[in-house]
Amino acid sequence: MNIVAEQPWLWAGLLAYLVATLVAMWGLSPRLVGSESVQSHRHERIVLGAIVLGVLLLTIAIAVRWVRIGHGPWLNLFELLMSQLWSLGLIYALLYWRLPGLRPSAAIVMLVMWILGSWVLLLEPADSYFPATYYNVWKWSHVGLGKVFLALLLAGVGLGGVMILRLTERGRRWFRAMPTDAVIDKLAWRLMMLALVFDSLMLITGAVWAQDAWGRYWAWDALETSAFFTWLLLAVGLHIRLSYKVPPWASGVMIISIFVLAFVTYFGMPYVSTVAHKGMV
Amino acid sequence: MMQVLSALASLKLTLLGMVLLGIGAALSYGNPVETSIWVLVMPLALLAINLAAAILTNPRINRQPGLLVFHVGLLGMVVLAGIGRLTHLDAHLEIGKEQAFSPELLMDVRKGPWHAGALDKVVFTQGGFTVDYAPKLRRGLTHSQVFLPQPDGSMLEIDVGDDRPLVLERYRFYTTHNKGFAPVLTWIPEEGERVSGRVHMPSYPLFEYKQDNHWIPPGTEEDIKFWLQLDTGMTLEDAWVLDGRNSSGVLVVTSGDQRVELKPGEETQLPHGRLRFDYLTTWMGYRVFYDPTIQWLFFVSVAGVFGLGQFFWKKLSLTAWTDDDSPTDNNNGTANKRGSV
Ligand code: HEM
Repeated sequence: MNIVAEQPWLWAGLLAYLVATLVAMWGLSPRLVGSESVQSHRHERIVLGAIVLGVLLLTIAIAVRWVRIGHGPWLNLFELLMSQLWSLGLIYALLYWRLPGLRPSAAIVMLVMWILGSWVLLLEPADSYFPATYYNVWKWSHVGLGKVFLALLLAGVGLGGVMILRLTERGRRWFRAMPTDAVIDKLAWRLMMLALVFDSLMLITGAVWAQDAWGRYWAWDALETSAFFTWLLLAVGLHIRLSYKVPPWASGVMIISIFVLAFVTYFGMPYVSTVAHKGMV
Repeated sequence: MMQVLSALASLKLTLLGMVLLGIGAALSYGNPVETSIWVLVMPLALLAINLAAAILTNPRINRQPGLLVFHVGLLGMVVLAGIGRLTHLDAHLEIGKEQAFSPELLMDVRKGPWHAGALDKVVFTQGGFTVDYAPKLRRGLTHSQVFLPQPDGSMLEIDVGDDRPLVLERYRFYTTHNKGFAPVLTWIPEEGERVSGRVHMPSYPLFEYKQDNHWIPPGTEEDIKFWLQLDTGMTLEDAWVLDGRNSSGVLVVTSGDQRVELKPGEETQLPHGRLRFDYLTTWMGYRVFYDPTIQWLFFVSVAGVFGLGQFFWKKLSLTAWTDDDSPTDNNNGTANKRGSV
């Protein structure tokens, strides 16, 4: 196997994420109820520090690859996963820092992050080529907004997961340090609202880019349809809460479904339709 | 009246409309042209009526400026998208080098019943083009030269390609991967007028292996077949630039059992007349797009999101993020307060 320049940095970044994951999980253990470092939340500093370190190492990995192949991580799945691991880590670290209420849910968030982490390890870091449509400046805002959107959903998944796991005795013990379900639910849907803002902006900038790139702003291709479903499900979720009393676990299921749809849009649709984001002869 | 409006404004109807819209979107997937437009129009109409009624009657929406702007924006987008569908035009165009645009050149035209653009005012002449290719025939930037007549009689040369369309009279001309070569031929019949014209060969390099076409001279039944042997410098391994000026071709002409190879400037005698291969030129394929609503759609959607942003900002800054301001609850899995977000 040929090792390319960015791989050691990628592995080091994932190692840092692994430390964050393990420490976050360790902090949940019911046996540590009396532990001084858990009570004083000292382990949370390690989790935050490890995520930040991981982000820094991934920054280097991306930069090294960028220099090596001459363009940013926009194109093949290896690049998309690597850059999502970077941005999800970065934005989640910010949320983790600013919103202490959600910290124990990092164990769930980091485990979900490992879907990307283990997937990227299985892929060849094949070079990608840069199609003509990617010179467009809208690419930056479209991709950037999408990253914030997905990170907000991911943080929501952590909270949704807590509300579901709290149906069990064990889950209630794991997440004993977190606020009540009502508070978690409120926080989660605030993140969903923000996600809707970023999702809407992502769709708008994407439509402008599509108009520039392909001469049409919307054509119900695989990616567009899937992205529209995600937006619609977010709207449905927000509106269901206006008409019905939603128990926390159901709230969690809704949030996770929205994330799953978004995940499929990002990482599944490139399998269904490759032409959308590539150039043709 | 108010009762009817309130019923129409039901948020349960909103959910129903959203589910129907989801189904419509699923049906439209991948095939917007063949799927009936009604699978989208019906749920959108339902949502629009529902939303308009809610905006008129529901203080939760019309007393909150940001939320109001957002929902009015949604309504505006539906209306604009509808107008867009009724007035749009979508078409393809193949235009040869040195050829002047004329509306008859449009192919695969699809347009809304209210389309009323000034296509006959669109005036330009196509020039040459270049396309950069990376190794393995990966298409890079296209530079297509277009000439626009100026009031002083001169010609303005502009460069369009990829995401830089030619925009004239709100018609947007986007270069596509569809482009190629065209031998310019002159037909000198035994009797009657000579005619000159170009035969567009299939898209290049996509159909590099079948650069053929045929033509029946007017007034005859002679089917003349053409095969163009090109030398464009194309390579699979290296980067190269497709450029008509650096390309040459030999035209193989077959009629009946007669077969000749013509270089530019050469001619041959066929049963009903003489055929001359004048020179080799190129053609560019465009996608033509007209929709007078796109700028408005952009503006309305951005304004809507700003409204939503303002609403959230106000809402989120009023109460702390993680404090419990709904004391009706505990963490035993019971329901949260209605709309407590
Ligand atoms: C079609 C896409 C739509 C989206 C994305 C959307 C989104 C939203 C959002 C995010 C909120 C704020 C939620 C909250 O305060 O908890 C909201 C509130 C609201 N929406 Fe919509 N909406 C849509 C369509 C509609 C329609 C068709 C109606 C018509 C009935 C409607 C009526 C309302 C009402 C009455 C509120 C009240 C908010 C409150 O109580 O604070 N929305 N909508």
